[in-house]
Amino acid sequence: MKEVPVKIQHNNEWIVVKMGIAEDRVVLPAPVSREILFRTVADIAEKKNILIITVKTDSESVYKILSVEKVLQILKKFILASCNAYRLMAYFMSPAIRGGVMIKNAQWDKGSVVVVRSGIWFISASKQICVPLNDVAAIELTKRDVQGKPADVIKIDHLESGEVTSSFVLCPLSTLQVLYNYLKDTTKSMDMKGTELDGVDQQVAMLVYSGMDSHAIENMLNIPHKQLDAVYDKILKLGLGEVVTIRREIQLTTKGVRYITDATKSQTN
Amino acid sequence: MGKILIVDDTLFMRTLLKNILFSGGHTIAGEAGDGEDGVSKYKELKPDLVTMDIVMPKMNGIEALKAIKEFDPAAKVIMCTAVGQEQMVKLAIKTGAKGYIIKPFQAPKVLEEVKSVLTS
Repeated sequence: MKEVPVKIQHNNEWIVVKMGIAEDRVVLPAPVSREILFRTVADIAEKKNILIITVKTDSESVYKILSVEKVLQILKKFILASCNAYRLMAYFMSPAIRGGVMIKNAQWDKGSVVVVRSGIWFISASKQICVPLNDVAAIELTKRDVQGKPADVIKIDHLESGEVTSSFVLCPLSTLQVLYNYLKDTTKSMDMKGTELDGVDQQVAMLVYSGMDSHAIENMLNIPHKQLDAVYDKILKLGLGEVVTIRREIQLTTKGVRYITDATKSQTN
Repeated sequence: MGKILIVDDTLFMRTLLKNILFSGGHTIAGEAGDGEDGVSKYKELKPDLVTMDIVMPKMNGIEALKAIKEFDPAAKVIMCTAVGQEQMVKLAIKTGAKGYIIKPFQAPKVLEEVKSVLTS
């Protein structure tokens, strides 16, 4: 068993310990004093360089481990190979499209797709990519040209630093269908009927997606700001958007008018 | 910065692209609502770049791309396709498209693609 120094959160404090890593477990010495078998890991997530591991035995415990990329990579590789998850061998391309633009030289990686409680992991010899399920915007069974022939793939749209990114998974159709159903079921809470927004509402949503601000949207669709506000309310109520900035419109008081009048005079004199 | 011709059959998408391109400092050479009009506007305006929708009435984007490339082999054309039409992209690239964007798109990425094609 190899030992590596890591920081682990214990009683709300980060402490340094020498963690033992084997292929099927990690050993956390005192004061944590815990052995984690990877097959008992129910969830694994990553935030920057912190690995969040949820272990389920009789009860659930969450461990936060902070270390250098190399150590975390080994840990992720071992955990994702053995943890309690939906796992399949597949080819994947992630990311393939970013913000509507296909990524040049994006290639198919041979590896596995591991779906845990909080996310979808794409794992290959050189990549460990996690797409949190909360960031999944759409899942679609579609076709894509692979070596000149159309092949069935799953397209997963997800948000990555505010950008809509698409990834593809390629494997035999029967397996693909199972994965698709599993992913659809896991992200069911995000499904909508498609009738919640009318024509103008959809155009507003599309313009927000494209990065237009309120002023540009009003001009483009030729609608007053009250109407746009009403559409925003609808979008917010449906949970399709969130407020990032509140802009104010003001009018000048008498004092303000006087100030401007004086300022104009001093400029023209 | 370039002089750009937008070819798309929906006014909404043309206006959206126009806004995005304006915000990136580009000039709009013109607009066309179908492939046929796109080809004649290209010959007339000689833009630095064309954004071309694929599914359009009269003449589709691929046919229009072919006609533009016959007229000007150095023409720079970016294809705009909807999700699910990615297979068309390969055909467009074979025909001479320099880039492609997939609807719905995000402004910064469109501007990056336009810049990369203009400087290629």
